Amino acid sequence: MKRFLWRRTGGFIFTALLVSFATFFIVQVLPGDPALLMLGTEASPASYARLRRELNLDQPALQRYLQWLGSFISGQWGNSWRYSLPVRELVSQAFPLSFALALLAVALAALASLPAGMYMAVRPHSPSSRVLSVLTQVALGMPQFWVGILLIQLFAVGFHLLPAGGFEGWQSLILPTLTLALPRTAILSRFLRAGMLEGLGQDYVRTAQAKGVAGPVVLFKHVLRNAALGPLTAAGVQFAQLLAGTIVVEQVFGLPGLGQLLLNGVFQRDLPLVQTVVMLVVLVILAFDLVFDLCLGLLDPRIRYE
Amino acid sequence: MWRRMGLGIAVLLIIVWSGGAGAQVLNIAIPQDPDSFDPIRTVAAATSEVAFNIYEGLVKATPEGGVAPALATHWEVDASGTKYTFFLREAVFHDGSSVTVRDVVESLNRARDPELAVRAGELSMIKEVKALDNAVQVELYEPNGAFLYLLTEVYASIYPAEAENLSRQPVGTGPYYLADWRPNQHLELRRFEQHWSGELPYFSQVNFLIIPDENSMVLNLKAGRVQLIPRLEVSVLHQVENSPGIKIHTSPMNLVQLFAINNSRPPFDDLRVRRALALGLNREEILLGAAWGQGVLLDSALSPAMAGFYNDQLNEINPYDPQQAKELLREAGQENLRFTLTLPANYPLHVQAGELAAQQWERLGLEVDLEIVEWGTWLERVYTQRNYEVSIIGLAGRLDPHAILVRYTTDSSRNFFNFSNSRYDELIELGLRAQGEERRAIYLEAQEILARELPGIFIMDPLQMAAMREDIQGWRSYPTYVVDLASLYQ
Repeated sequence: MKRFLWRRTGGFIFTALLVSFATFFIVQVLPGDPALLMLGTEASPASYARLRRELNLDQPALQRYLQWLGSFISGQWGNSWRYSLPVRELVSQAFPLSFALALLAVALAALASLPAGMYMAVRPHSPSSRVLSVLTQVALGMPQFWVGILLIQLFAVGFHLLPAGGFEGWQSLILPTLTLALPRTAILSRFLRAGMLEGLGQDYVRTAQAKGVAGPVVLFKHVLRNAALGPLTAAGVQFAQLLAGTIVVEQVFGLPGLGQLLLNGVFQRDLPLVQTVVMLVVLVILAFDLVFDLCLGLLDPRIRYE
Repeated sequence: MWRRMGLGIAVLLIIVWSGGAGAQVLNIAIPQDPDSFDPIRTVAAATSEVAFNIYEGLVKATPEGGVAPALATHWEVDASGTKYTFFLREAVFHDGSSVTVRDVVESLNRARDPELAVRAGELSMIKEVKALDNAVQVELYEPNGAFLYLLTEVYASIYPAEAENLSRQPVGTGPYYLADWRPNQHLELRRFEQHWSGELPYFSQVNFLIIPDENSMVLNLKAGRVQLIPRLEVSVLHQVENSPGIKIHTSPMNLVQLFAINNSRPPFDDLRVRRALALGLNREEILLGAAWGQGVLLDSALSPAMAGFYNDQLNEINPYDPQQAKELLREAGQENLRFTLTLPANYPLHVQAGELAAQQWERLGLEVDLEIVEWGTWLERVYTQRNYEVSIIGLAGRLDPHAILVRYTTDSSRNFFNFSNSRYDELIELGLRAQGEERRAIYLEAQEILARELPGIFIMDPLQMAAMREDIQGWRSYPTYVVDLASLYQ
């Protein structure tokens, strides 16, 4: 266990460094000069030169990378070029929102997929199972921006029940969460169905049934516990994806999350902002990954940490 | 860090933001945040739209495109046309301090300092700014017909000489002040009760909500979360056109959409080739296909919105005539010309217009490679390095024709057409010193040169469409990029 933790921590730091290096140099090689983007089409050559000096753009890239790395580790995240605000302030406003949204969406998807997936596995040939199966296909096929707009149309414009966008409190997260959870529920329930169908055909299930263990106990204790591994791993991946990957939904609902921040940062080549957001997301994902791996062991005692 | 984030969560989740509640609050949808409220550093049109209500200069623009007194009650010009004396009125800044002669001098000096101001070059005609007794004298090197109009720009705003951190905390004299700004969320403006005019605008609070998606904007308008969309995307016009409770104001945008041609790159250095591209262009079709018919075709670098200077006699010069276009190409030996058309991806209007034009040019037997680039790439490659063949862009109009037309002079740093015409350069010089009817005649001739020599092909001025709830009154369209909050009421 100790060795496992050491190895994982080493991998953690290595991955983080690698990502920071890659992000920095990808933004470097992108065409488009940050100073030019800030000044637009009306700037004079003098102010352009001055701004490049001010942003340290006249120094070698490697030197700037090392400077950035040093200050990032010491907690100095600098100022965003696009927003003329401290990156820390921007991120501490956007991060909680994105984190909450990703967590809610995945939690909802996991909860909703449980009965749906189990039902489809236990009664694979029933008409309702077939309907459910078609519904999961449809949910997967619908583009998210369209679902979002549909929900706004229905609940905000039609019934005046929920806000049409922006962040005005808890109720503002309901529609975005639904939008994000829908396709993810479909994926998870299909995973669960497949896993449980496989489990139901196993010898130990037949043995348990033969020795008279009650049906629900077999289903939950024997089949579900084994089948949950796949969907849970998928849910972990989904959460990581959602952390900064909710740009489309943020745009549709006008939510001030990490996705918007990152997108605008990339468009403006706002290096301090992009770099910090990417690093934070990576760190959170890596940490989650570690915790998640440890949790899987609780679920499946066969998993060993070496 | 985590404590702060925790606090952030708490603040975000607990506080239900109070906008929209009660009367006299107006919510306006805009697609993105301003860049900076420091008048001498901002470049985004999105900023000037908001800043117009926060800052004021000595003079301000009128909806008709004229110049009206603002912080100056009136002004005098001496006989030589080089000395302007502005007489200040009693006014206070948002921070409660009085506007002094020193504030004005400092603000104007900062605006023309190339070490500080992004657009200092535009005020380079100023020789000296002098403080007088309750007045400010601006001396120019030589008479300049554009000068007074330039003082309406955001960069010529007046703010306290000691002000700091203007980019986030603007201090001006306008009818509204900035109370709160949350990036990607909203800007909250409050009515300034001590405005020098003594008149209070109807709305005591105005929120600019950031809504990047145009479909969501419309839904927010329908749901009543916002009452005004100052710039409706033409692609969603059909969603609001016949909606109950919503009305639309249209006006020329004072923006000239054009195909820019790299005049120094063969074979485009040959006027016959440029002319062939112009004659082969069915702009009627582009207007319908790309802008849904919501625009005005034009043949000049000026928009018809500049009524006093627009040359409306140019539409016969380059009619749609594919036959003659082919002939010109044959004459120039370019009937199999293959070239790249570079389109800026962030402007759907330009991309669609470009795609339509490419099809039309291919019908002449040309081969057009479309290259869709992101805005940063466009700025760097097309605009700055001038490394392109043909591209498309919209150039924003100004109040005075000089600021627009000077771009096409040989030595202009903004002349990404690499266009050069000695008579044109001479006219633009003359135009600055001329007045009245003489000045107008000069600009009419200059526009005709552009239409004949074709640094690019002028297409249209798209319409600006402001969509609002029916009970919003008093909307005023300007030939510049502003939303005049003080004129709105319910």
